[in-house]
Amino acid sequence: MIPQSVVNGIMIGEAALLVLSLLLFFSHGVWLHFHQRSQEKLLADAREGLTRLLSRSTVDPEEVEGLKSVPRSVQVAVFLAISPSVGGTRKERLRFLAAEIGLIERAKGFCQSRRWGRRLRGARILARLDVSDPVVERLLRDPHPAVRAQAAEWGAAQPTIPVVLELLNMLADPATLARFAVQNALFRVGTIAIDPLARFLAEHDGDPAEAGLKVAEALAGTRFLPAGVRFSTSSDPALRTSAANLLGAIGDASGASRLLQMLSDPIPDVRAAAARGLGRMRHWQAASPLAAGLRDPAWRVRREAGLALRAVGAPGVLLLRRAVKGSDAFAADMAQLVLDLPATAG
Amino acid sequence: MPTEFTDGIGIVMREILVKGELLTLIYFFAVNGWYLVLLVSAALEMRRHVLLITDESRHLLLGSTLSPGISILAPAYNEEATIEGSLRALLALQYPALEVIVISDGSKDRTIQVLVEKFDLVPVKTIYERRIKTKPVRDLYRSATYPGLVVVDKENGGKADALNVGLSFARSELICAMDADTLIEGDGLQRMVRPFLHFPDVVATGGTIRVVNGSEVHFGRIIKARVPSNALAGIQVVEYLRAFLFGRLGWNRLGGNLIISGAFGLFRKESVLAAGGYLHDTVGEDMELVIRLKRLSYERGGPGRIAFVPDPVAWTEVPESLKTLGRQRDRWHRGLADVLWRHRGMFLNPRYGVTGVFVFPYFVFVELLAPVIEAAGLIAIAVGLIFGRLDWTFVLLFYLTAYGLGTALTAYTLVLEDLSFHRYETFRDRWLLFCWALLENLGYRQITVYWRLRGLWKFLRGRKDWGVMERKGFAVPVSGTTGRSSVKAGST
Repeated sequence: MIPQSVVNGIMIGEAALLVLSLLLFFSHGVWLHFHQRSQEKLLADAREGLTRLLSRSTVDPEEVEGLKSVPRSVQVAVFLAISPSVGGTRKERLRFLAAEIGLIERAKGFCQSRRWGRRLRGARILARLDVSDPVVERLLRDPHPAVRAQAAEWGAAQPTIPVVLELLNMLADPATLARFAVQNALFRVGTIAIDPLARFLAEHDGDPAEAGLKVAEALAGTRFLPAGVRFSTSSDPALRTSAANLLGAIGDASGASRLLQMLSDPIPDVRAAAARGLGRMRHWQAASPLAAGLRDPAWRVRREAGLALRAVGAPGVLLLRRAVKGSDAFAADMAQLVLDLPATAG
Repeated sequence: MPTEFTDGIGIVMREILVKGELLTLIYFFAVNGWYLVLLVSAALEMRRHVLLITDESRHLLLGSTLSPGISILAPAYNEEATIEGSLRALLALQYPALEVIVISDGSKDRTIQVLVEKFDLVPVKTIYERRIKTKPVRDLYRSATYPGLVVVDKENGGKADALNVGLSFARSELICAMDADTLIEGDGLQRMVRPFLHFPDVVATGGTIRVVNGSEVHFGRIIKARVPSNALAGIQVVEYLRAFLFGRLGWNRLGGNLIISGAFGLFRKESVLAAGGYLHDTVGEDMELVIRLKRLSYERGGPGRIAFVPDPVAWTEVPESLKTLGRQRDRWHRGLADVLWRHRGMFLNPRYGVTGVFVFPYFVFVELLAPVIEAAGLIAIAVGLIFGRLDWTFVLLFYLTAYGLGTALTAYTLVLEDLSFHRYETFRDRWLLFCWALLENLGYRQITVYWRLRGLWKFLRGRKDWGVMERKGFAVPVSGTTGRSSVKAGST
């Protein structure tokens, strides 16, 4: 039989585990309760102090000292909470105060840590405060993708040419998160990114180019027209699709002629993107080819062609109505569906 | 007077009982030992996750216009009373590229009429790209007010069929499958999409589903999470926490997630379509799809990562009556048995990597057969005690091993929740949680063994019915409020 001592040992062990979990659970609860109460008070005071400091024309050293004396976690919370709501000189004042209380130095220290979690935290603080510093720029080449992504987010608010070029290089980042963050950052950088991105698209191909084309589509500058035309004849259907989307977003007449040619691409996704692009441009001259798209064997091409016809206005709607009465049942159905759609629905 | 013969039977019986019990003990030691590994894995994963999300400015990155589009597929069957509130909550979700597709699965009440009236719907030509065979679509509606809203009225064919119809209408890269009564956190989709941005090979993500019973709900949003005072619902809160925060999170780190709750899951549309969509003839269609996606990734060599997000992203109402809960658990276990049987070719098959050699057998031996082994142990104890062939020391040891360690692990899951998200803030909630964790093993778990065995039995007999799920609901306004839908879930 099982010796009583074994049973007793197991009982004691389990009881100890339970008591320990109970202690952890409730003591954390107690700690949280008091911590939150004290934190709320500290946060409210610090928020009030910081708001006062930001609204006055001069800085009261005593109040800065007061802010310096609150716990680090409260400092971080208050500065990060206020940061998105201020701009211009107040943002500069916020950074000055953050530097005065040692928050920026501490964040820079985090950025140089060996632990990725700390580097991430450091980059987050500096990004939220819009602090321009080479220490964050270096994190664009960090081994951890989350840190690189955070540094890219920081880069969106620091659109210097070296940062933008670094961001463009990151369009080839193997980590999807970092790549996405870079695309988003370049989009937020806006007009400053247009020229470098156009050059990048002229020199690159493959996945980085596809990632860049998405940004170009969102920015929709005419500087991207050569890239759109160049990739419209690419051997990669994904690139041709992105190019069609880009040309449609730019809306230039020379892009429209390319899109018309792309309506006969062998890949349905490309044809659909071309039709969508022509609709986006409201290129009424394309109404007849788009009406032919209503008879396309691929559903998504017929749908995009129908929506594009509606978008180009009166000539397109006329052709849709004709298609409803036409002999092609597929075209008639799609035309009817598009005509039935409320104006807001796409 | 005992004879030599009856003494002999007694000795043999005792031997069988003791050997059987020892085997059961070893089983429970192994299972609980593995649970300990999962707990450690979950704690490490949680730490990593907390590092990733602390001070994250999600709206900048995840709310970007470049984010992948999401089509929410919301099947509805006779949801006349709740559909308006549920749909308004969905349309208000914080996500930049959102399409909502409501699929009325042959509702016999006024679900469609309510939608038409409240959301300015207009009928449009009922044509669509039928990519999966489904029951016929009767009508199609688009909203003149909400550009991203599509309503489909189809013949009744079950949830899987409704989701398949939704798949045909979805235009986004990702689809979100959910139950019509699931409450999604305002930024739930932003949180759920994160793994798709982290890893290129993710085909599906699931998030932590929590129990809404007892919590304060306002316009389809959780205002204050509370632990229900109803024992049955309270114990399920503990169960859900354990299943998500320790089971799925632990497996996430080890690459062995095979379940995404049907209440709320995000999928890559093309992968689901390539897999053929949801299966109709199973009651475990959500798990079946995930296993099929995983299996096909090995067979065809495509992406196949199943990711889990520990953030509490959605809330669901759990049954508060034994009858309804029994039906649910019976169905879940039948579903599990059915899915494992359908994909039995993966069992211990090295072609399917870690999933085949390790994860699948875990689901067979630990998830599927646990009630059989537990029941055998309990019956043997009862028989042994009745006939005086087992001593109390052994019984105590059995109980401690089978349930005691499990309780301790559950308690640590509560600690993990408290250290990470601490959604239950009051001492009352903490105390209740702990009480429900302790009470779980005193009767509740044994009843679930019965329900699960019943599910297995029904599976062996080929039953595939869903049963009726009775809900108290949380979308009915409290009387006296001035049109503000603010209620305590499960209490109306």
